[in-house]
Amino acid sequence: MSGKFNSNSAVMNFPRRDSQDKLRGRTKYTVDMENSDVLHAALLRAEIPSARLISIDTSEAKKMPGVKAIATHLDAPGLHGIGISDHPIFAGDVVRYHGEPIAAVAALTKAQAEAAAAAIKVTFEQDDAVLTMEDALSIDAPLVHPDWENYEILFDGAARGGNIAWEATVQRGDTNAAFCRDDVTIVEGCYRVGRQSHVPFEPRAVVASFEDGRYHIQTSTQVPWTVRHVTAKVLGIPEAQVQVTVPAVGGGFGLKFDCSLEPYAAILAKKSGRSVSLYNSRREEQMTCLCRENAEIRLRSAVTKEGEIVGREATVLMDCGAYGGEQVFLTSMTAHTLGGNYKLGSVRISSRAIYTNTPPNGAFRACNGVYNTFALERHTDEICSAIGMDQIEFRRRNVIGNGDIGATGQVFEGDVLRPMLEQLLEKYPIGDTQEVLPDGRLFGRATTVGTWFIFVGPSAATVNLNADGSATLVTSGVEIGSGTMMQSLPQMVAASLGLHPSDVIVKTADTDASGRDLGVGGGRTTVSIGAASMAACEEVREKLLSVASQMLQTKAEDLVLKNGRIEIKDRPGSGATIQTVAQQAELDFGPISGSGAFTNPGVKAMPGCASGHFIEAIDIPVFAVHDCEVAVDPDTGHVEVLSYRIIQDVGRALNPRAIHGQIQGGIVQGLGYALQEEITINADGAFDQTGFETYRLPLAGDVLPIDFELFEGAPSCGPLGTKGAGEVPILNVGASIACAVANATGKAVSELPLTPPRVLALLDDDGYTGLSLTHISSEWHKNTLGRTSSY
Amino acid sequence: MTTVSMTVNGKQVSAEVAPNTLLVQFIRENLRLTGTHVGCDTSQCGACTVHVDGDSVKSCTMLAVQADGAEVTTIEGLAQNGELHPMQAAFKENHGLQCGFCTPGMIMSAVDLVKRNPNPSEETIRTELEGNICRCTGYHNIVKSVKSASENMGG
Repeated sequence: MSGKFNSNSAVMNFPRRDSQDKLRGRTKYTVDMENSDVLHAALLRAEIPSARLISIDTSEAKKMPGVKAIATHLDAPGLHGIGISDHPIFAGDVVRYHGEPIAAVAALTKAQAEAAAAAIKVTFEQDDAVLTMEDALSIDAPLVHPDWENYEILFDGAARGGNIAWEATVQRGDTNAAFCRDDVTIVEGCYRVGRQSHVPFEPRAVVASFEDGRYHIQTSTQVPWTVRHVTAKVLGIPEAQVQVTVPAVGGGFGLKFDCSLEPYAAILAKKSGRSVSLYNSRREEQMTCLCRENAEIRLRSAVTKEGEIVGREATVLMDCGAYGGEQVFLTSMTAHTLGGNYKLGSVRISSRAIYTNTPPNGAFRACNGVYNTFALERHTDEICSAIGMDQIEFRRRNVIGNGDIGATGQVFEGDVLRPMLEQLLEKYPIGDTQEVLPDGRLFGRATTVGTWFIFVGPSAATVNLNADGSATLVTSGVEIGSGTMMQSLPQMVAASLGLHPSDVIVKTADTDASGRDLGVGGGRTTVSIGAASMAACEEVREKLLSVASQMLQTKAEDLVLKNGRIEIKDRPGSGATIQTVAQQAELDFGPISGSGAFTNPGVKAMPGCASGHFIEAIDIPVFAVHDCEVAVDPDTGHVEVLSYRIIQDVGRALNPRAIHGQIQGGIVQGLGYALQEEITINADGAFDQTGFETYRLPLAGDVLPIDFELFEGAPSCGPLGTKGAGEVPILNVGASIACAVANATGKAVSELPLTPPRVLALLDDDGYTGLSLTHISSEWHKNTLGRTSSY
Repeated sequence: MTTVSMTVNGKQVSAEVAPNTLLVQFIRENLRLTGTHVGCDTSQCGACTVHVDGDSVKSCTMLAVQADGAEVTTIEGLAQNGELHPMQAAFKENHGLQCGFCTPGMIMSAVDLVKRNPNPSEETIRTELEGNICRCTGYHNIVKSVKSASENMGG
């Protein structure tokens, strides 16, 4: 086998291959796929948060004009979920949230389908609803799932009970002893955040058909294999009967990391014998958004006067809404986002997903890392105040470095955070900070650190070398806007095979053609699909080189692939084109292809530390250092961001231009979260913010250019040393803004978003003294289901 | 039903539509020009922006019958003779798009913006684009694209 190729050749600012059609309005997203043969579907959704259904009468609706099929829970018997199967796609006997689908209708036009859905007669008895986590945890709370004990368990080991859908705990060392030391200061704080809506501009959308005994689902998704699996599970059919293909996707941000509308369209397609299109209106999309969950957090730390954190106790309540969903999985992440930044002598964490009668939540870019980092960094600054230590100095002393252990006992490799912090401070030294600006506004600056991870997991790739010398990359990767499938992956394949990226054809995801994959999200595309693709290329290289070796009468290790040719090393023009070699291979043994695979490398945690965790140690940690300056108007409560700068650990930047776009976009989503995007839930269990009039997304005039530097060279098992770069930019934006506002105002900032009314309340001298979440006990063990010892 | 006739991207078109048909529905459903997108249902996002008689209009705020007799340009009609319009070329060069769903409306608004402000400042661009929302890019590269296009368009 020949030596490794020069990996620097994979680094380039290759422009997006999909830009031409996107700029000309030619790209067909799923919502653009309709044609005159397609039926249109609409869902009947519950308008109450909790009820027992007595009857669903579709007889009148069936007679309505244009109606071709109606589906209810009788058509979808199965339950799905993550960790627990608790989620039916239709409410059958019970409604558990406002917006829950009760029936689906397909008709000739969307208006006919909506009219027929409205004509379905539903009788029900309304039940008491639990709309907040505090209510859900009260002793006499109604249970959202009275039969929770009977559900199928998909992942063993977690404590569950009543409205506690899932509990993941960590215990390392003896925190009780730490808190009893006489040389420590004990600092305690509570923090709360609301939900955030992803708002991908293309709503969730699907076109399904039933062909030759199989379902074909074209959908706007990040996870074609999850859609295949869940559709089969809820329909009660073999997975092999479902094919999922994915056209261009108009944004995801995690909203499309779950199966959603697909099974409804599939059922209606089979029942009607026609293709069926179903998509959410913006209002439906917003009202049933699988949001970044609202959360409530209590942190308690024992810290010496030198700033050593000898003990920490944390409890995080995550609202999963009516069904467990992603939050069940995400309870695992608290250990790493609260315990992977700073050295902790001992630590106990309880991370709980709580059922409420509200719309289910989901995965959103950096998920619970965003608010755990907010809580942790505010807590860190409160520790600094309590022990009288400079905020930067405390971080310098305590950030995780080479050989330090995280909450679950995993050993971190490499000094990354500290050099990143120094790099930022060197570029932007802490100057004489003005406390009040000439215009009377309050000035504040903050520097924060954050730890997130790359969600690895299984990926597969096939590379076919074509007789014309081009290569086709077949994976289940989906282009959701980040450019990874359009830029990084073809660059990697091209570099490995000595081709130009434009000679690499990228097959769009099709579960009938490409191997299984966990999906596009968690920053894993470049890493996992990239690694599988590189492995596939290696097989292609070996085959090519062995044929070329015969043709050129030269040992394989003396050959190089470059510019579409295979040359004898240091003798340009001596060899043959890849096309010629590929054609020779066809004569010798047939066309050349290679297959590759990747999965979790499996970093170890300390045995016995973690329970109920899907991930006990993080395979590829990713670090970020953010810094911002704000001006707070004491009269209006408006927060202006004066500067925002970051150092981001990317492992290795394959396409710096694409990463820059991800950083700018991610930070701006974070600014929306920190300052203006707010969802409130009313007494009907519905969101008050039904669209863009009330859900305030950042506009061009609200935001600023982000100043950034990429930190390269941190250890990574990703191909060519890469780490995903798109997920992490949003991680510490809430933290940085909150800490800067706290520094500007001297107030205990404990909640996000910092809307003007909330900032004015903070500044009210009579009022705000911080947050007291009485339903989370100061005694940590009371925040667990009792499987953990209380010492 | 009522008959509407207009010129879309230089071609005369005519159709029978319900009187309450929105211009965006006419463009997407009757003409199957799907580059004009619907991103909201409250006329805030700007993804459906087209030009009517040379001015940018959110095509969800106008009935098809109100455009009767008008000259309409959609994103599909912006490139001339196969060449990208300077605004499209600037978005390509400056990485002014990611998922691309808001891009057609953003470009149609930006072309009108530069027509009215031949040499816009960054601040003017940001203010003028308040009717067009993008969730992916954080706007910076869009602002850069518009600025660069304005220079190439002879501003």
